[in-house]
Amino acid sequence: MADRLLEYTGALSQREMMEQVLDSMDLERERGITIKAHAVRLEYHADNGNTYQLNLIDTPGHVDFTYEVSRSLQACEGALLVVDASQGVEAQTLANTYLAIHHNLELIPVINKIDLPSAEPERIKEQVEQIIGLDASEAVLASAKSGIGIHEICEAVVHKVPPPKGDPAAPLRALIFDSWFDPYRGVIILARLMDGTIRKGQRIRLWSTESTYEVDGLGYQSPKPVPCDTLSAGEVGFLFANIKTVSDAKVGDTIYDAANPISEPLPGFEEMKPMVFAGLYPVESHEHGLLRDALEKLRLNDSAFNFEPENSVALGFGFRCGFLGLLHLEIVQERLEREFEIDLITTAPGVRYKVELGSGEIVEVDNPTKWPNPSEIIKIEEPVIDATVITREEYLGEILKLMEEKRGNQKKFEYIGGGRVMLLYEMPLNEVVLDFYDRLKSASRGYASLDYHLAGYRISPMVKMDVLVAGDPVDALSIIVHKDFAFERGKALIDRLRKLIPRQQFEVALQAAIGAKIIARENIAALRKNVLAKCYGGDISRKRKLLEKQKEGKRRMKRVGRVEIPQEAFLAVLKVSQSGSEE
Amino acid sequence: MQWPRPHGRGMNAMAGVYISWPFCAQKCTYCNFASGVFPRELEGRYLERLRRELRDWEWPWVAETVYLGGGTPGSMAAEALEGVLSEVRGRPWKEATLEAAPGWIAREQVQAWRRCGINRVSLGVQSFVERELRRTGRKHTAEGVARDVALLLSEGIGEINLDLIAGLPGQTEAGWRESLDWIERLAPPHVSVYMLEVDDDSNLGHELLLGGVRYGARDVPGEEQIADFYEEAVERLAGMGLARYEISNFARPGSESLHNLKYWKREPYVGFGADAHSFDGRLRWQNVETPQEYVQAEQIRCETTEAHGDEEKFFVGLRLMTGVQVADEDEARYGEAIGRFVGDGLLVRDGDVVKLTNRGVLLSNEVFAAFVD
Repeated sequence: MADRLLEYTGALSQREMMEQVLDSMDLERERGITIKAHAVRLEYHADNGNTYQLNLIDTPGHVDFTYEVSRSLQACEGALLVVDASQGVEAQTLANTYLAIHHNLELIPVINKIDLPSAEPERIKEQVEQIIGLDASEAVLASAKSGIGIHEICEAVVHKVPPPKGDPAAPLRALIFDSWFDPYRGVIILARLMDGTIRKGQRIRLWSTESTYEVDGLGYQSPKPVPCDTLSAGEVGFLFANIKTVSDAKVGDTIYDAANPISEPLPGFEEMKPMVFAGLYPVESHEHGLLRDALEKLRLNDSAFNFEPENSVALGFGFRCGFLGLLHLEIVQERLEREFEIDLITTAPGVRYKVELGSGEIVEVDNPTKWPNPSEIIKIEEPVIDATVITREEYLGEILKLMEEKRGNQKKFEYIGGGRVMLLYEMPLNEVVLDFYDRLKSASRGYASLDYHLAGYRISPMVKMDVLVAGDPVDALSIIVHKDFAFERGKALIDRLRKLIPRQQFEVALQAAIGAKIIARENIAALRKNVLAKCYGGDISRKRKLLEKQKEGKRRMKRVGRVEIPQEAFLAVLKVSQSGSEE
Repeated sequence: MQWPRPHGRGMNAMAGVYISWPFCAQKCTYCNFASGVFPRELEGRYLERLRRELRDWEWPWVAETVYLGGGTPGSMAAEALEGVLSEVRGRPWKEATLEAAPGWIAREQVQAWRRCGINRVSLGVQSFVERELRRTGRKHTAEGVARDVALLLSEGIGEINLDLIAGLPGQTEAGWRESLDWIERLAPPHVSVYMLEVDDDSNLGHELLLGGVRYGARDVPGEEQIADFYEEAVERLAGMGLARYEISNFARPGSESLHNLKYWKREPYVGFGADAHSFDGRLRWQNVETPQEYVQAEQIRCETTEAHGDEEKFFVGLRLMTGVQVADEDEARYGEAIGRFVGDGLLVRDGDVVKLTNRGVLLSNEVFAAFVD
């Protein structure tokens, strides 16, 4: 949709169009998703003869990146609410609508993909009115793919979205809504000017740090960067001012004129706190320094993720990292492997628990290896979320079963028309970071959408489950589970590990244990034969190549004690469902 | 142990000659060599090119051993065979082996082989069980093999090798025992026992990976059973006086294959023909793979590399049951790995000599990989 608007307003010629122009990260293009919000300026010649400057921000849809949406909304006057003409309202549609309403934005409903045979625009309009409570009578019917309704969208923006209110002559107040690091220019700030004007060479100050910088350059994206001399109230653009790190130019901070101080900053954003934690370790222990450098570089552009050193008996030196969600974890992991070429071992993701100890102290634990001694624990609280699921009636049975299995408490159940149901559950975040997405997808054949937000903490009897390989506990395989689910989880995990760990020279026992109590056990039979018994007429290089291949396979495994464990084994818990079956 | 390290023109150690004859009457299902059934016309051109390659070689030494492998060199016409062997210096050679398919060997053929200097014959028996043979595309019978062995002996060729494969589709314990019983009856001085390897470039391997039925992939015995077959063979053959001297080779003392020993002892050998491999003590090289390329290519040597002596000493040398002598510099480089394998019971150490244990033989790749960088 964003691509089509760019093309329609002439920001890009057809020749320059590439699918998903705004999603510039390779990963975004490959996966067809938006991870970072992108801001672009469009010039629109309206039917009334006037030319308007429109600033468009394309935002991600995935729940992990809701904060990107939230901060983008704060920089805007209006929003296009794009609803799929056959899928209808999805869980994230709802979440994003509430965000927009919260920010007092003018909402323009757009029903997209109306040219699909399965499109039901009238029914979807009803849904929008019923579920969201938005007047859909003037919703624009569009198809980004075939260019239908694009003109109408632009006209609606011009007529419905109020012009920016700020005063270019007032003291400068600009909201930072994104920033990233550029190796040549330092930090680049994306800002929305609320009041005043900003010029090249001007001395600016940031509210939270009170540091002063001189503006080296200004510009806007269209979508390529276009330098300019000034930006003034109502405009969106970028600036750089020799700022060294992203953390010096925090998103949500206010920029003002050093020579013309203001008394109040703009309302900022809540800082995003990581919710999902996992250990990242280099396969090759000597790459530890490399991994640290890579994490530091990634953090320059992604302030939502954090890391601190940790070490594991099994895996050596690595880092405990915090993420917004599983997709965020996956993206960081993939970027580390792709852009920095580091072979990684990721341990099972978990959440942060609040544990009250006998001493009265409350500790936050996000790493199973730091789980306190059970005899000292008085109370454990785990983070819970409010999860909204919208699905079709026919998949309800499977989904309700899944929510039950994932320890969900139903809070709301509503038929929303068109054979669709909206469910609201309170459920532990810990269950979502395991295999929830995959399970939900398969239970609904892809016809379920999910959105959630942190709802608080609840008391739960959690226990630490250890995994012993050949009699020795492997700390990196430990997980925190609910007491009542421990037995089945343990069995499924051991079963999964048995399939993942290749046969070794000797029989290997795999055990799951809680404290001293073994709850599951399986053996991996010893490897009987790995031999080349064939005459190759003196072809030594063939033998050598074969051995090299075997060695390369081993290199990608981690030797723990006498057992070689492949990378995937450390994530085995992710693929374990209650029944122990594999997807 | 100091192997001779001659190379290039100065190659003066006793060297071996390998000659590749990649033509077969049929392609066996488990075979992944660059051999098989080719148009008749190619055979003539190949013969010509082979003779030219032999003639062009500088012969810095005379051959001690000759090995005609394939393919099925046993099916070569007498004149063709003589034409090839007449180009190899050093006749009569100490050992000259010819690989042949058993079943229909004629007395005149054997007499012709003898006249050319052949004094050892290796029969690709693979199995004595009819059902197993048919499924791999072989047509001979146990009785046919017995007739061939008797014929070879009566014509004065006592050095006979019989090949067996453990792990053929449909092979059973009883079937394997039957093959070993036949070996006992025929009492050859040399036996090779190969374990079926699933090479994805053979018809059978391809099917194993993709799950077809035509070549009996589903009936290939499991790893466990193949290992059992092998161990049973080691024991039975020892009882017949055939000692294991290399992972898959068994012989009466004095009947070991001198030519194949050169591969494992890292002595020089030169290969002629398609897909033939050579080693001059320093360099390894290889000829183009297919007979079609071989007859057409200007440059038939397609790959030359420096041998990795210190590594090969172990991953090649340890294949021999006599083991490898660990020098001081090896100690520094591999001492830790050797210690670990001794601890795991895969290697045994006697003074400065290390050898594979029985268990180590079956897991030898695990050991060898540690000596490859």
